[in-house]
Amino acid sequence: MRYSRKLAGAAYAAPVALFVLVFFVAPLLLVGRMSASDWPLLAGDMGLNLPENYQGIGDNPLFWPAVGFTLKYTGIVVVLLIGLSLLLALIVADRRRGTGFFRTAYFLPTTLGLASASLLFFGFYSPAIGPLDPVMEFLGLEPVSWLGTPTAALWSTVVLIVWKFAGFFMIILLVGLQSIPPDVYEAARLDGAGRWQAFAHITVPLLRPALGLVLILSVTGSLLAFDQFFILTKGGPDNSTVTVVQLIYREAFQRFDLGAAAAISVVVLAALLVLNIAQFRALRKDH
Amino acid sequence: MRIPDRTRRAARAAVVASAAVLLAASCSGKGGDGAADQEVVLEGVDDGTTLTMWTRAATEAQSQALVDAYNASHENQIELSVIPTDDYQTRVGTAAGNQELPDLFALDVVFAPNFTTAGAYLDITDRIAALDFADALAPSHLDVGTVDDRQYLVPHTLDLSVLFYNKALYEQAGLDPEAPPTTLAEFAEHARAVDALGGDVNGTFFGGNCGGCFVFTWWPTIWASGAEALNEDGTESLLDSPEAAELFATYRGLVEDEVVAPGHNEETGATWTGHFPEGNIGVMPMPSTMLGLMPEDLDIGVAPIPGIDGGESTFVGGDSIGISANSEHPNQAWDFLRWSLEEEQQVEILAANGDVMARTDLADNEYYAANSNAVVMNDLVQVGRTPYSLNFGQTFNDPQGPGLALVREMIYGDAGADLAALNEGVTASLSS
Amino acid sequence: MRTKLWSTSYHVLAGGLSVLFLFPLIWTGYASVAPHGATNQQDGYGFGNYAALLDYDAGLLRYLWNSTYVSVLTVAFTLVLSVLGGYAFARFTFKGRDALFLITLAILMVPYSTLLIPLYSMLGDMGLRGTLVGLALVLTLYQLPFAVFMMRISFEAVPKEIEESAMCDGAGTFGVLTRIMLFAVWPGLITVGLFSFLAAWNDFIAPLILVSEADKAVLPVAIANLRQQSMGAVDFGATQAGVVVMALPCLVLFALLQRHYVRGFMSGAIKG
Repeated sequence: MRYSRKLAGAAYAAPVALFVLVFFVAPLLLVGRMSASDWPLLAGDMGLNLPENYQGIGDNPLFWPAVGFTLKYTGIVVVLLIGLSLLLALIVADRRRGTGFFRTAYFLPTTLGLASASLLFFGFYSPAIGPLDPVMEFLGLEPVSWLGTPTAALWSTVVLIVWKFAGFFMIILLVGLQSIPPDVYEAARLDGAGRWQAFAHITVPLLRPALGLVLILSVTGSLLAFDQFFILTKGGPDNSTVTVVQLIYREAFQRFDLGAAAAISVVVLAALLVLNIAQFRALRKDH
Repeated sequence: MRIPDRTRRAARAAVVASAAVLLAASCSGKGGDGAADQEVVLEGVDDGTTLTMWTRAATEAQSQALVDAYNASHENQIELSVIPTDDYQTRVGTAAGNQELPDLFALDVVFAPNFTTAGAYLDITDRIAALDFADALAPSHLDVGTVDDRQYLVPHTLDLSVLFYNKALYEQAGLDPEAPPTTLAEFAEHARAVDALGGDVNGTFFGGNCGGCFVFTWWPTIWASGAEALNEDGTESLLDSPEAAELFATYRGLVEDEVVAPGHNEETGATWTGHFPEGNIGVMPMPSTMLGLMPEDLDIGVAPIPGIDGGESTFVGGDSIGISANSEHPNQAWDFLRWSLEEEQQVEILAANGDVMARTDLADNEYYAANSNAVVMNDLVQVGRTPYSLNFGQTFNDPQGPGLALVREMIYGDAGADLAALNEGVTASLSS
Repeated sequence: MRTKLWSTSYHVLAGGLSVLFLFPLIWTGYASVAPHGATNQQDGYGFGNYAALLDYDAGLLRYLWNSTYVSVLTVAFTLVLSVLGGYAFARFTFKGRDALFLITLAILMVPYSTLLIPLYSMLGDMGLRGTLVGLALVLTLYQLPFAVFMMRISFEAVPKEIEESAMCDGAGTFGVLTRIMLFAVWPGLITVGLFSFLAAWNDFIAPLILVSEADKAVLPVAIANLRQQSMGAVDFGATQAGVVVMALPCLVLFALLQRHYVRGFMSGAIKG
């Protein structure tokens, strides 16, 4: 019985395993080889040069500032995004007047691609065509250079990302909320628990798996941020918003050095694996 | 017996599903690298071959017009793929590393040295020499496409930096709308005069966070003043010259006096040409290809970018084109290139559309007779420059490169920045 | 009285947030028909930017078809893989389970541009480079981490008793999956399908690198071509019209699917 169940499980997992092997593990091995080789983008493999590409990472003056900025950005985005999407999910979870409209409104930005959303906000923040300066003027405030200073550029990008992804995470949390049986709340109410007590003692613990997914997606996504900064700030002003993935892109397509780009990718992957195993362990602990 | 049965069923279902997913993946691949060692036919071959060609979106209109006319009149047929400009390097670079380039591909001319030296293009020295108008081809494009006296590229679509000025605003500001600036000081003076009109009107604009924009629009002033921006090999930066310092000081003054439209500091290049067509900017250098995009009711003038005490120059940008080294049809591909450079196509397709031609000997044509702005631009091709450096893109166009940092420090940084030290940083990047 | 206050503050908060979420989109819709220099809508209000999109190169319909085809294929691949995989991870223990799950998640952790170059040469070896099927397979790869995780937690949330009673009735694991579990995880299934559709529909980099023939171009690539002018400049008219055209089909899809997120649907299905 146990043995055959194991076999059945493996059989159900086989398609994913095969797919991941062919389309992920195999290309990843090639990335590993690139990172150990002199591999110009235009000319291809020129032979092993280990550990030159890895040594080059430390010599790159942009690397550590980029790591620092990426971590700071991730911290801000993850906190704001999870808080807001949980609020949105709670707002639209119950069937009452207007929830259909609210759900659609919050979800709408998710239907855009990240690149088009970034371009939309690029226009939105632009003093030439954006609507913000007239709004500020109407409110009697001074116009703001939304992307012109390091602080403004960071927060303007955070606003874009929270706007774009809150609806996405709202839906994941909503599915989590929907899977909590209503009779649990019923029982709690009969025991005299208030709204907040029910939230803290029923909703949050039972929402754990969905929150875990949201946490892993938002942390990993933010640490690999690229499009939004590439389009909104190009890493500026004065290299204040350069992320780690922008460095990878720069090595590969501005400096035509795939080996160096692959080496940074491998380091990033290793760091993310450690981080996510830790997150995963923490989330599964009392299961 | 029931349990193994179930297991088998489950296993079968899973296998069927995975087979469906991977079915397509089992199709056989086709290979075959380009063998460009065919016999060279200098005039090209038109035998009904299908050719592939790539171009970037920025210069699509001109490429598409040429390809359509060629396909309509030839046995050979060209399939043109347009690739978004910002991602052209990514796309072409990936294909080059895998020897999967199309038969023909155009390239932003400043990146040409990377591709020619990497062997992505076929040597077409003899074919170019056989053209009876070889001497008339845009000289700066030919220079950049040459490595060790071997030529790989011909000019395809040209995009020059020129001054655009708003004649209506000039008139309102009491300036002569037929007398554009002829020195850098006059440029600043005109910008200030227009800016004084107030309201939504501003004197000028530039992309203050766009390395490529600075190179394209400001270097001509250095050249027109008789100085150089780079040494001949493109391994040393000469941006610490007195001429460059004067240029930076002039723009710094315009920024300090708020003559530049708001948003210049954060402008990464995506909207820098969008302000002038709205009709609120007095005078600014922009790409010549913007001429066709101007609103019809906007009365504009075009003039060469002046030097500090006169003179004129331009940055001859745009695309060069060549035959890829892995093409199996070099003679057929050359047939298109040769044809595209002939007088009839240059005049009837490019000049008729108000574009700058790839040749300098055809300015005397019926279309330019009615379009003085186009004549101004075409005449500049002869004197204009295209800088050559193997590390050009990563030094100047790259937003994290030292070129942009230098200009921003000079314009927005504390007064008295150490230009010589900044210049050394640029040289270090060029020579690495 | 308390309930009234609660209800009013609920509506103020929810309404205020929806204004904030909608404002940028309303602005882009407005800007796509408003006049701007250097766009296809220079004088007065009108649909010049949309007309340009409609006529561009191979024509809007061609791009819509290509995008739809790739997106539907991606949804199909993703659903099949993630349902089987999610079921396996949630309900079975087998050798290498945790490792496989972690490797699947690790797909998220490799930047797109890094993996696309090896994938490009691999698809070439398989004869799939430049095909829309090859593109859909790569897009599926990037959907797997989210999809498998989502299906795993959806299956885990289904009470074990339901499954066990079905087993006692003589159903095999596959029968349980198709006849009972799929209905129980319906919201998860809708979510995975919806998001893999959105991701495939909007993706730009993968089709850019993997597909080069003009008549196989997808909508985001065509719109990117249309919006880019010389020297890095962007045509904002085309951009905003593009945002609207890209978003509309996704919106319709969401509107059609949204009733499935309402509480009661799923528990009803299980009980019934």
